[in-house]
Amino acid sequence: MITLAHFQVLAAALFAVGMYGVLSRRSPVIILMAIELMLNAVNINLIGFAAFGDFPEAHRTFGQVLVVFVITIAAAELALAVAIILRLYRNKGSANVDDVNIMKW
Amino acid sequence: MNNFTLLLPEFLLAGLAFLVLTADFITNDERKRYLPWLAVAGLGGILAFSLIFLWGDIGSLYGGIFRIDGYALFFKAVLIVIGIFVVLSSIDYVKKNLDHPGEYYGILIFTVLGMVLLASSAELLTAYISLELLSFGLYVLVGFDRYNPKSNEASVKYMLLGAFSSALMLFGISQIYGLLGTTRFDEMARVLASLPELSPGLIVGLVLLIAGLAFKVAAVPFHMWAPDAYEGAPTPVTAYLAVGSKAAAFALMLRLFSEALIPSVGDWQIILAILAALTMTVGNLGALVQTNVKRLLAYSSIGHVGYLLLGIAALAFVRDDNTISLATTHLAANGVMLHIVAYAITNIAAFLVISVVFKNPGNEDITGLAGLGRRSPFLAMVLAASVLSLAGLPIFVGFVSKFYLFNAAATQGLLWLVGLAIFTSVISLYYYLQILRQMYVEPAEDDSPIKVSKLTLGVLGLLFAGMVFLGVYPAPLMDAIQYASDAIAVVGSSGAELAHVLD
Repeated sequence: MITLAHFQVLAAALFAVGMYGVLSRRSPVIILMAIELMLNAVNINLIGFAAFGDFPEAHRTFGQVLVVFVITIAAAELALAVAIILRLYRNKGSANVDDVNIMKW
Repeated sequence: MNNFTLLLPEFLLAGLAFLVLTADFITNDERKRYLPWLAVAGLGGILAFSLIFLWGDIGSLYGGIFRIDGYALFFKAVLIVIGIFVVLSSIDYVKKNLDHPGEYYGILIFTVLGMVLLASSAELLTAYISLELLSFGLYVLVGFDRYNPKSNEASVKYMLLGAFSSALMLFGISQIYGLLGTTRFDEMARVLASLPELSPGLIVGLVLLIAGLAFKVAAVPFHMWAPDAYEGAPTPVTAYLAVGSKAAAFALMLRLFSEALIPSVGDWQIILAILAALTMTVGNLGALVQTNVKRLLAYSSIGHVGYLLLGIAALAFVRDDNTISLATTHLAANGVMLHIVAYAITNIAAFLVISVVFKNPGNEDITGLAGLGRRSPFLAMVLAASVLSLAGLPIFVGFVSKFYLFNAAATQGLLWLVGLAIFTSVISLYYYLQILRQMYVEPAEDDSPIKVSKLTLGVLGLLFAGMVFLGVYPAPLMDAIQYASDAIAVVGSSGAELAHVLD
């Protein structure tokens, strides 16, 4: 039997993996993928709550509405981010966050 | 019953943004110089329209996720005025340094729309979407100087950390939705007030939500992107980043904390107080060693975020036996709003002077200000007035707002934090005086007078007059702020009732 706890554990684990990816990877594209992972963890969390949450029926659909918005905004964010990273690649000849170091402190 | 006409100003803002974008496609290069004036006229018209049309209107749209009230109207006016001043101060800079003016002004108006929506949102998803509309525009604006590696680098850093912080905030929102069953501010307050204590999952949600918001306003320890983004961005965008995005994010935070989260103030007050203490300390100490003026002002603005967070932390008075008093909440809310306005006027003026003085983007060393007192006495006077106002010295608006804010926080029992705030204010005088010393004591390498366009003179004159006038006679502004803070539910009438529940 699948319960709310399963969803929450999966979401928290996925979120942690994504966070680790953001903090440890050096390629901005992979950092973006890790951020996507974090956003998907949010989606799993929301769907779990929408299905098993401890609240009135009327509030259930709202969780699913939230998921749709999160997916849409994530897509927009990705398009924008890739454009900015492409610019970085054209300016520097590499896309590595270690090279993004003109400004410090 | 939804009354969609209440949303007209927002629709008009979106229309104006598309109009400016399309006008850029269909006009020739010669006529493109009218684009910013189209933007200014449009924003001015929308400002006048909203003030006349929405005055005294109170309404709630889409089942309460969106609130039109005095508070939203106050911030709508403030944010649109900020937008107008940023467009005006961009005109010369954009003409000289940037391509595609239409896109620049169009995106700028979209971000104004995001800010305005943020001030009206009374629900977490709406707030998140508005915040993203604002942030996306700012990522592009920060990197607008595409061929300048610094601008591009600033944009990459801002965007990656911004996306990361949105993910944190969203996870917080999902926890809050799941455990409270709602994301509407008024219902959240009701559910929170009925809980005997917060569950661990809810605390995780609250902390992540606060962390995400702290990222957006650049509070320590989430401030690492701010100095880089400020230094690399085109200077008018830096002003906008420092002023607009913070004013809007604090408009949201003030409503969120006073309407939705106030019942659990005992849990988050200490978090915000520690954030505020760290932010004001690190911001002001970090500024001491900066040699780049934009970076120096970036750290100074981090310090100011600390003062604003102090105001948010002081929204409720928590007694020793954990009961809450909301009797003087409006003082703290007023203090935050007053400080936002003071800080906005002052910082736009400071960054406008910097964008005029430093001809080559990317090299804003503080020694470039040397001899400004001779080269252009007017610019030097305005910059001097703004740094003195930021430091909080009398006759300028910064003094009034800091005095009011610290006073309110002291009334609410956060004496240790107010002591720290005053101490860091004194430290900040050191680096503000460095700017004055460069302008009036150090000799200039190149003594030629600086040419300033009439437009810039006019805008700076207005900002300077505002700084002094509001510093001497803040009463009209205070009336508007009182009108706004009466509209936030808990701060207004229902506050006493809630306090009763908690006692």
